[in-house]
Amino acid sequence: MKLIKKRGANASTAAPGLGEAIDRRTFLRRSGVALGGAAVSGALPVTMMRKAHAKGASPKAGIATEMRRSICTHCSVGCGVIAEVQNGVWTGQEPDFESPFNLGSHCAKGASVREHGIGEHRLKHPMKLVGGKWKKLSWDEAINEIGDKLMQIRKESGPDSVAWMGSAKHSNEQAYLFRKMAAMWGTNNVDHQARICHSTTVAGVANTWGYGAMTNSYNDMHNCKAMIFIGSNAAEAHPVAMQHILRAKENGAKMIVCDPRFTRTAAHADHFVRLRPGTDVALVWGMLWHIFENGWEDKEYISQRVWGLDRVREEVKKWTPEETERVTGAPPDVVKQAAQIMAENRPGTIVWCMGGTQHTSGNNNTRSYCVLQLALGNIGKSGGGANIFRGHDNVQGATDLCVLSHSLPGYYGLSAGSWKHWSRVWDLDYEWVASRFDQDKVEGDKGKPVSPMNYKGIPVSRWIDGVLEDPKNMGQKDRIRALFMWGHAVNSQTRGPEMKKAMEMLDMLVIVDPYPTHAAVMNDRKDGTYLLPASTQFETYGSVTASNRSIQWRDKVIDPVWESLPDQTIMYKLAKKLGFADQMFKNIKVNSDEPLVEDVTREFNKGMWTIGYTGQSPERLKLHAENRKTFNTTTLKAEGGPADGDYYGMPWPCWGTAEMKHPGTPILYDPSTPVAEGGLTFRARFGVEHDGENLLAEGSYSKGSEIKDGYPEFKADMLKQLGWWDDLTPEEKQLAEGKNWKTDLSGGIQRVAIKHGCAPFGNAKARTFVWTFPDPIPIHREPLYTPRRDLVADYPTYADRKRFYRLPTRYESIQSQDFSKDYPIIWTSGRLVEYEGGGEEQRSNPWLAELQQDMFVEVNPTDANNLGIRDGQMVWMDSPEKAKIKVKAQVTRRVAPGVVFTPFHFGGWFQGEDLVAKYPQGTAPLVRGEACNTAMTYGYDSVTQMQETKVSLCRIRPA
Amino acid sequence: MTRLLSLFTGVSLAFIVSGCYESPSVTSYEPGVYKGAKDPLMQANKDQRAETMKKRFEMVQTDR
Amino acid sequence: MARMKFLCDAERCIECNSCVTACKNEHEVPWGVNRRRVVTLNDGVPGEKSISVACMHCTDAPCAAVCPVDCFYTTDDGIVLHDKDLCIGCGYCFYACPFGAPQYPQQAAFGVRGKMDKCTFCAGGPLQDNSNVEYEKYGRNRIAEGKLPLCAEMCSTKALLAGDGDMIADIYRQRVLKRGGRPQTWGWESAYGTTG
Ligand code: SF4
Ligand code: SF4
Ligand code: SF4
Repeated sequence: MKLIKKRGANASTAAPGLGEAIDRRTFLRRSGVALGGAAVSGALPVTMMRKAHAKGASPKAGIATEMRRSICTHCSVGCGVIAEVQNGVWTGQEPDFESPFNLGSHCAKGASVREHGIGEHRLKHPMKLVGGKWKKLSWDEAINEIGDKLMQIRKESGPDSVAWMGSAKHSNEQAYLFRKMAAMWGTNNVDHQARICHSTTVAGVANTWGYGAMTNSYNDMHNCKAMIFIGSNAAEAHPVAMQHILRAKENGAKMIVCDPRFTRTAAHADHFVRLRPGTDVALVWGMLWHIFENGWEDKEYISQRVWGLDRVREEVKKWTPEETERVTGAPPDVVKQAAQIMAENRPGTIVWCMGGTQHTSGNNNTRSYCVLQLALGNIGKSGGGANIFRGHDNVQGATDLCVLSHSLPGYYGLSAGSWKHWSRVWDLDYEWVASRFDQDKVEGDKGKPVSPMNYKGIPVSRWIDGVLEDPKNMGQKDRIRALFMWGHAVNSQTRGPEMKKAMEMLDMLVIVDPYPTHAAVMNDRKDGTYLLPASTQFETYGSVTASNRSIQWRDKVIDPVWESLPDQTIMYKLAKKLGFADQMFKNIKVNSDEPLVEDVTREFNKGMWTIGYTGQSPERLKLHAENRKTFNTTTLKAEGGPADGDYYGMPWPCWGTAEMKHPGTPILYDPSTPVAEGGLTFRARFGVEHDGENLLAEGSYSKGSEIKDGYPEFKADMLKQLGWWDDLTPEEKQLAEGKNWKTDLSGGIQRVAIKHGCAPFGNAKARTFVWTFPDPIPIHREPLYTPRRDLVADYPTYADRKRFYRLPTRYESIQSQDFSKDYPIIWTSGRLVEYEGGGEEQRSNPWLAELQQDMFVEVNPTDANNLGIRDGQMVWMDSPEKAKIKVKAQVTRRVAPGVVFTPFHFGGWFQGEDLVAKYPQGTAPLVRGEACNTAMTYGYDSVTQMQETKVSLCRIRPA
Repeated sequence: MTRLLSLFTGVSLAFIVSGCYESPSVTSYEPGVYKGAKDPLMQANKDQRAETMKKRFEMVQTDR
Repeated sequence: MARMKFLCDAERCIECNSCVTACKNEHEVPWGVNRRRVVTLNDGVPGEKSISVACMHCTDAPCAAVCPVDCFYTTDDGIVLHDKDLCIGCGYCFYACPFGAPQYPQQAAFGVRGKMDKCTFCAGGPLQDNSNVEYEKYGRNRIAEGKLPLCAEMCSTKALLAGDGDMIADIYRQRVLKRGGRPQTWGWESAYGTTG
């Protein structure tokens, strides 16, 4: 018998343990213990379990271990991953403390990436659906059958009847090839997740000051004096960014979080502003009201670098504290305090994410955030900026390299001139490229005839309508008949029942993914669905662009597992079958069906002048990867070493050719540094004047600039007028003649402009009045599904549009109906830290899946009591479009009364039914649940067709 | 729940910035004598290990 | 000589579960067994705080004191380990532990509990360091490799610190001085009989 003497408070009790007391995780975890593999795993002793589960991926003694480096594939922070590999098996992960981005850290997702190499639940072979059953087939058979079907559809309906939905998980090289493949096939019906994550940001921000990307970096946030987060829950969506954010906070920065939910990010904030979902413009104007009222704006900055602010002033005048409260629900003193914190602590940064972008007026939201920062004089400064956190690991790169329906790589647009530029880069005859498209003109968005080649394609948010809509009402010959979902989760798109119907109408559905995905099971197709196993980025190599525009090089960790193939190989096989491989890979070496990744990088280096993806050669990228420890963790500048003076990953624009050795641009629009060293001005993108007012900068120019005022973008003629033409070499002159900074393939115009201290894209003011948009000044518009009928008259949505991205698009006709009586609860959605996107990878990974086992809805105790719902109980959520989902209720004050929240990463259930039996054997994810977007509703942004998934209505009832 | 509370009430509010060392009033038990196998880790050079760990700690866990 | 300790800085912890997942990955801990977990107080309301908890490797470990077969030992750096070959899975240590650290995987038959498993401070067990059998029973031995616990090394915000108690206290003290506010060394008093 042992004597145990303890102090009173610590005396042990028979309580069942620490976990018992707590929070939603415990509640969720306990509730789902018998799910999936859990039942089996629980029955095995630890040691046996290890063997059963890890299938020989455990580290072994006495075998040499190699260290390989990749980049996490789960978010845009770009954390370095160090893999330990033994005999080709990925046996361990170590912290990459040399990476200036993550200093060794990871979030739950990053800490578990090794599971990709175990991949028990991955799709193992190409498969197709035959009479409702999954059949294995070989790669050759699959490519042949798919290719034949595509050619048949092309013949009958034209190339636009095939839609190519690509991925933010592509590497830069794969993204570029994907866009090129769609071009060679002859359609603009190509798109990816950026449409539904930050398209309104890119459009809004680029139209304000030139580029649509994050202006500063996570690391630069160390220098902030204030940080305002609107619709960003960094603690769950960008966890490692929180390391930099909390460092800033410890340095004394004030942190404000504006969100409908008291998020885990809000838990760390100094000031929390709760707003009603969908009222961002009202809140920002409400803050700006105080700024203008008190004269807190930066007047000198505005007079030099901002155009159109007086027109904004008129609008802001309406947003008195009372009106702001009426619309947003945020009390006057709370809003005023937020404004005051931002005004008194400069430089300050703004961070926004999907909470701001996913609205019918998302482009208004993003522009209002920009205006706030411009008024405070915060853009183009270290510690300031618009730190727009992107989502997926390479959504920035895939946007830049343009897996998008409305442009070409480098944001060149779809005009004939843009196609000619890229045809030159591709070394192809423009006429041949044009011949690939449907030749018959159609009626475009503006009612005028337009060639399909120059007409924006159907975006991913609307592919459903591209299938279901009567072709008579569409801006293309026929409906979509074949659909590729290539690294793209359908559960991130809304309107489940209609989606199911659309899927069932397709002639062919091809899913290219490491996992079968929700798309494979949510419909009742019997034939003509193909599953092609794609490798993850750990099974190939290439470059990836982090949110801060830095490009990092990934090494290959392991060979492709099972029968999977990397995307570039699958694309080559398809191109060969479809007959354009020779053109598509004209200057790219191909080794046994695998295109040489470095050649792809070099090819886009030759064409991406607009955003400076030209200086980052594979050699320089690899040099940075190897010497990453030489970069300062705040400035990102290499201090000594072989990359001395460069910024980590050469954040774009990295001007000119690689030989020019531009260091990259760590902070956009910062005139305090010479352009040659990473400084910039605002881009002169919108001409030199509007309504007789000067759009160029006045009295502001970058350090060392020989033009000491604003100037337009550089052209060959301008060089001549300035007398700088002879600075070009004879070879450069030849290529530059008649060209501009964007189309001169020699890079000479850029080189000479920078030599004279000038930004190739000009020096203008940022514009706060975007005359090309539906709302030139951002204004508040109520969501399509709003409970505030009293506000609809004051702040109505847009009129319906007959044709917009080839499709009729509804606004007013939905908003005019009152659903709020039957569906009184506001519904918003968001992220969980363990999961990402459609969640397929993470829900199949036992280390993550165990932490989140149930799809749930957060309900305020008041609503729960009124509805008679207990914590942990199953409930039905009904949408006004008559879809329903069955989820577990979680009663919490995190949400306000009248508002509910669901995460969006679940899948594998459909309207109450578990679809486990419909997955190919052994591939069902460990955790399945209702996809929230099954019941999310119609609503698309007025500029980009971004879906409105951050605000809708629902009804909740016990199940 | 009781156990959880005890953990958090055990959290001390009095933190003396300068005196971060073991308190003399520790809980005392009457321990049994370990009856298991010897851990080879105990044979290794501990001072050398402490030195390695110190470096590692600075590299991995500090804000740089 | 080092005295190994954990400290979770609640001002930095964001409940991201990286520590939990890193541990699962490193040691291939099976579903249902958690050597580490993150607990949250005041979930969803102002004052919300999270901390990551595992075995704290207590000075005078209560688990060791109650073990009927005396299978616990403490290394020179203060890491509390146990011998699974002796462990009978009785569960006493679980009741003694102020942190609920010991875990028992379910055995197949009759709900009998398996041998206790808990955080090893990534120091393996009383078997040859980094041998296959040590890995299978106790997980990886990072300490023998000159590394620190992976959970702390991978913490997203460097909230979770693991290493020599004095070094940890220094870092934490600096942070508190910088940001102000009340220092809260969660669990230190129970585990180490000291608050800083
Ligand atoms: S998901 Fe993001 S934060 Fe997490 S490890 Fe990966 S890159 Fe880092
Ligand atoms: S120290 Fe090692 S065993 Fe303990 S919780 Fe951390 S990772 Fe797991
Ligand atoms: S990894 Fe760090 S921040 Fe994340 S839950 Fe663990 S202790 Fe907290």
